[in-house]
Amino acid sequence: MHPITLNINGEKHEVSVRPHWSLAYVIREKLGLTGTKTGCEMGTCGSCTVLLDGKPYFSCLRMAIDSGSYAITTIEGLDADGKLHPLQQAFIEEHGMQCGFCTPGMIIAAKALLDENPVPAELDIREAIGGHLCRCGTYMRIVKSIQKGARIARGN
Amino acid sequence: MEYFNPGDLNEAYEILMKYGDAAIPVAGSTFFMGHREELFDEVDAVVNIKRLGLSYIRLEKGRLCIGATTTLAELHRTGLTAKGPFRIFAETVRELKIMEVRNAATIGGEVCIAGEVDMPTTLLAYDADIVIGSRNGTRTVSMSEFHKGYLKNALQTGEMVIEVQVPEPGRRTGGGFAKFERTAADLPIVNAAVRLTLGRGDRCSDARVAVGAATVSGIPQRADAAEKVLLDGTLDDERIRKAAAASNSIECVNDFRASAELRTLWVECAVEDAIRKALTHAGEEK
Repeated sequence: MHPITLNINGEKHEVSVRPHWSLAYVIREKLGLTGTKTGCEMGTCGSCTVLLDGKPYFSCLRMAIDSGSYAITTIEGLDADGKLHPLQQAFIEEHGMQCGFCTPGMIIAAKALLDENPVPAELDIREAIGGHLCRCGTYMRIVKSIQKGARIARGN
Repeated sequence: MEYFNPGDLNEAYEILMKYGDAAIPVAGSTFFMGHREELFDEVDAVVNIKRLGLSYIRLEKGRLCIGATTTLAELHRTGLTAKGPFRIFAETVRELKIMEVRNAATIGGEVCIAGEVDMPTTLLAYDADIVIGSRNGTRTVSMSEFHKGYLKNALQTGEMVIEVQVPEPGRRTGGGFAKFERTAADLPIVNAAVRLTLGRGDRCSDARVAVGAATVSGIPQRADAAEKVLLDGTLDDERIRKAAAASNSIECVNDFRASAELRTLWVECAVEDAIRKALTHAGEEK
């Protein structure tokens, strides 16, 4: 076992890991942050997406042991001062989910997009969630939710 | 399973030599983690190669040199592929619609996977060389010689890929890339990369047509028959269609993603698309 320190949502977590343990596994099973979902666990569904230094990664394809030097953001780290992130608010208002399993990954990917491009075109949004599956088929509402989240974040 | 995080190349080479075939160099970890269950019993040493200074893209003596741990996102973002003779590399990355994989996957990893990935097809069309390092020094193998069969490459015990080099194409050369996949998140079913050079009177003076992800051999292949049709001709609609049709000389694989018949049809479509893109870009280059 190798001791590492993970910086998740601004909090430091000491944890011992094995080389083949994924970041998704450690986040969920060792640290109890179950907002990040694991679906396929082979980089196909997008539900485990987290941010490392602001960029989206599949946490199932990422070695936990190699994640210590990054600022990691999970869905639990998005709300601030008891207020939902604009994207979370927009997903509720626009019904951007049915079962909700893909939602944390979708919102995290959308956050990475809006942080880089606050005024995304519809195609930018579709590309940003290109690696994410929604088996309820709520894609249209997800795109609408992200558009609305962008508007809320811009203050209109 | 042990984990190593060497700080220089020599240290990494020593570990690779010591553990031999039971060592796996890892950077983006997309392949290793995606196959961790199958690899668990085979791998004794996971060697993180991200601290070896192999993340760079630079132009050196007329060659584009890409360090092995350069990510696809970095290759997409660099000014060296935004326009000009190497834009095909940004265009190839653009066809991978998964941002999360672009951020993690590296060119070294893509090259080592002789299977359903995009970059080796483009590298084959651009006559790229793969620079291999080990305790015994470095050696260079051409992309056409590097893949030995499905998931098999030319690396010997103790070796790893350290750089990919692409010769700068001549004047009036353009590239095109096209692919088919089931969904954006899936592996390619067919991909094709084309490089064309226009000579006197806009006749095609050099041509490469490479097809990947679809072949029975499991590795990217040149479509020689298609290249022959293109060479020395004026690239009108009829010749382009004839060249694309000639790419059916490539024997396609039949698997759960697509039948061989469908792949053969899609190879023709992808090659035609890639030729048209390459021709447009060649016309734009001075």
